[in-house]
Amino acid sequence: MQKRLLFPLLAAFAALFPGGSLRADDELTLYTQRHYGFDDTVHQRFSEKTGIKIKVVKAAADELIVRLQEEGANTPADLYMTADGGGLDRAKKAGLLQPLVSALVEEKVPAHLRDPDGHWVALTKRARVIIYAPDRVKAGELSTYEDLADPKWRGRLVVRSSSNAYNQSLLASLIEANGAEAAEAWAAGVRKNMARPPQGGDRDQIRAVAAGLADVAISNTYYLGLMETSNDKKDLEAAAAVKIFFPNQEGRGTHVNISGAGIVKASKKADLAKQFIEFILSDEIQSLYAQGTFEYPVSETAEWSENQKRWGTFATDQVPFSVYGERNAEAVRLFNKAGWE
Amino acid sequence: MGQESVEWNHLAETVLGRYLTNTLVLVLGVSLLVLLMGVLPAWLVTTCEFRGRRILSWALILPLAIPTYIAAFVFYQGPEAAIPLLIQVRQRFGVDAFLLTEQVIRYGLLILMLAAVLYPYVYLACCSAFARQSRAVIEAARCLGDSPTRAFVRAALPMARPGIVAGVALVIMEVINDYGAVHFFGVPTLTEGVFRTWFGMGDKIAALRLAGIMMLVVAVLLALEQGLRGRARYVEADAGGIPLRRVPLAGAKATLAFLLCVVPVALGFLYPVVRLSHWAGLYFLSDAGGSFFPGGAALGRGFGLALVTAVVVTAMAALFIYAVRLRESRLRRFFGRVAGMGYATPGAVIAVGVLVVFGTLDRVAPPFLPLVSGTLFVIGFAYMLRFFAIPLQLSRAGLERIGKPLEEASRLLGHPPLRTFLQVDLPLLRAPLAAAGMLLFVDILKELPLTLILRPANFETLATTAYSLASEARLHACAVPALLIVAVGAVGLLVMNHWLQTSPTSSKHE
Repeated sequence: MQKRLLFPLLAAFAALFPGGSLRADDELTLYTQRHYGFDDTVHQRFSEKTGIKIKVVKAAADELIVRLQEEGANTPADLYMTADGGGLDRAKKAGLLQPLVSALVEEKVPAHLRDPDGHWVALTKRARVIIYAPDRVKAGELSTYEDLADPKWRGRLVVRSSSNAYNQSLLASLIEANGAEAAEAWAAGVRKNMARPPQGGDRDQIRAVAAGLADVAISNTYYLGLMETSNDKKDLEAAAAVKIFFPNQEGRGTHVNISGAGIVKASKKADLAKQFIEFILSDEIQSLYAQGTFEYPVSETAEWSENQKRWGTFATDQVPFSVYGERNAEAVRLFNKAGWE
Repeated sequence: MGQESVEWNHLAETVLGRYLTNTLVLVLGVSLLVLLMGVLPAWLVTTCEFRGRRILSWALILPLAIPTYIAAFVFYQGPEAAIPLLIQVRQRFGVDAFLLTEQVIRYGLLILMLAAVLYPYVYLACCSAFARQSRAVIEAARCLGDSPTRAFVRAALPMARPGIVAGVALVIMEVINDYGAVHFFGVPTLTEGVFRTWFGMGDKIAALRLAGIMMLVVAVLLALEQGLRGRARYVEADAGGIPLRRVPLAGAKATLAFLLCVVPVALGFLYPVVRLSHWAGLYFLSDAGGSFFPGGAALGRGFGLALVTAVVVTAMAALFIYAVRLRESRLRRFFGRVAGMGYATPGAVIAVGVLVVFGTLDRVAPPFLPLVSGTLFVIGFAYMLRFFAIPLQLSRAGLERIGKPLEEASRLLGHPPLRTFLQVDLPLLRAPLAAAGMLLFVDILKELPLTLILRPANFETLATTAYSLASEARLHACAVPALLIVAVGAVGLLVMNHWLQTSPTSSKHE
């Protein structure tokens, strides 16, 4: 009985919302992890210039991978974008992306920031640094990520949950540099030094340092940039109370994560997608990102924002990003073992 | 498979214990608090008369309009405000005392916050249970020498048990399913484990096992209650009984009753709304506030989807529960339980399951049929799986109260089952079904993880807009769509309440 009623009801329901997957030639569909309002500005500029509309589905990187897998050849997606390099590599491994051949990409993007087979390319960079309270930490006290596991930081450090992709990539970089055993010991040491169990986002860690709960935090730089330019007086005060330290300058350099994109294998609009990627890599849009989201441009000729210039230049870890993708699952396991929630 | 058991062993050795402990602590803490915040006010507003009772009787429902992830943002101000205190503790008593205090504050606030926005499930269930109890039973208890308190404990409370259990079961499932709030407060539960193993370690099997444990927790709790209930059945002994007359309270008693009812509303509704309004005000005063209205895009389709889905799913649940009851068999009862399990499954897990089903359908369907994947139909279907428990629980409790006599009479008169259902049970079920539909509507409006994964391109709901802004930490802008969710939800709930009170089944109890 309920079946007889169920289907007409479902059909009526479906009829209410027609046209879920109409595809026009003058639009591009983005599956993106980036949830920044600023991206809309960039999409708008692209539409004005080319007449191509950008449609967006925003969700977590790995959830979008599952969606791409299940939609298969029928997916409406043309581009897959993430805010972390690991996701791009997993999408490539899952066979979801197609190679992109572009002279402009090769010119603008350093080799370690793009896939060797051309399946994805970095669009912006984000440095994961140490934020510290200058009144409680002497400049000489800070040196490397490794040093943060030293007992001298007991009860003085805050950092967000290990569920976060930025932390997973950071630990992957430590596995790559020092081996799994040392990386696990590091994670356990850092966990012991925490002033509180991991909670909140990067911004909350910066606030905790500003409020005096901790002396150092691990955070991406752009969060500080956003706080420095916030409308909220509390953000401005907190940002003024802390400083950035770029770790590992004597050695392999500071860990830098990427935000990037790849063209979806099932897309029939690879040309439009390529046009979009090249548009974002133009110096004009690159420096727009530097000012809008405070991410670093991947193009070396693009201008930095005033805030970034003030924070100063730094040496970066040059390990190819695909390595972090490969080590991601191992990093999560080490976090679990180390008890870093 | 070898690999899979390695991952599972790894989970069992490292984090599983903590996930389980956290989940149980939250479930127990929140359950106790919602009983306190739900049952007592329900009893007071249905059986007593005191100043402010009328307003409170509907205001007590309002916290349901506040999603947990939004409440989390507001309540997280607590741990932040406690930082100076924590620094004091560390300076005077050392690091260990500091860590302990920090933990107590955080867990306490999280439990308080969850209870403050979830207790209305219990409150609503209790109100309708108490309102239906005939005066005869309570007065019999009083005649036998019981004080009002004792009559409440010995007669009213046991009779309201199916309703209370249904309400608490919904609360527990919400707690187990929550991802945003527990993550934000740094209290990882089984749900966080599912996300980590699935999306971080790429291990579907181990993640699904965790999801299985979550559902097991719920199943065990429900079975426990069934066991405790034993063979008792709950039938409204006197369907046409004389309604309860409210006992007037005065003086200190009235003040106390008022306070007991006001505290849950203040915590679960007034405090978040005041905070959000303050932030939204700051947003509109800022430069951005004049040019951009966050959430405007979400009002059309997002709204319609919630409405249509709520109506369809409620209708289906009513039919479903009736089909189960029509010919009670072990199998049908089993399906009855399973259908409600979606409520304890993380939205993301349901979303992925739905993707798999419709992705496969699209691949095997003949090419002239339109694609289903990526349409709103898929989201609607997923909402049904996720929220089926709400109309199911409420209509089940409703049917249990009606009992079988009327239905059996109708069948004896030769009416077929469907006609009996439409003409006898449905009118009696109108109130619980309306309540279910409205709860469903508000819940869909608030839903986040599933919507994020399944939505079509350029589709925003108020929840996804609020989430985007919140993850950019634009608290002031985020407060605007958040307030809209709250406002729409609150109005919906009030309409439901009004409708319930003017419906034929309950008006005779007024």
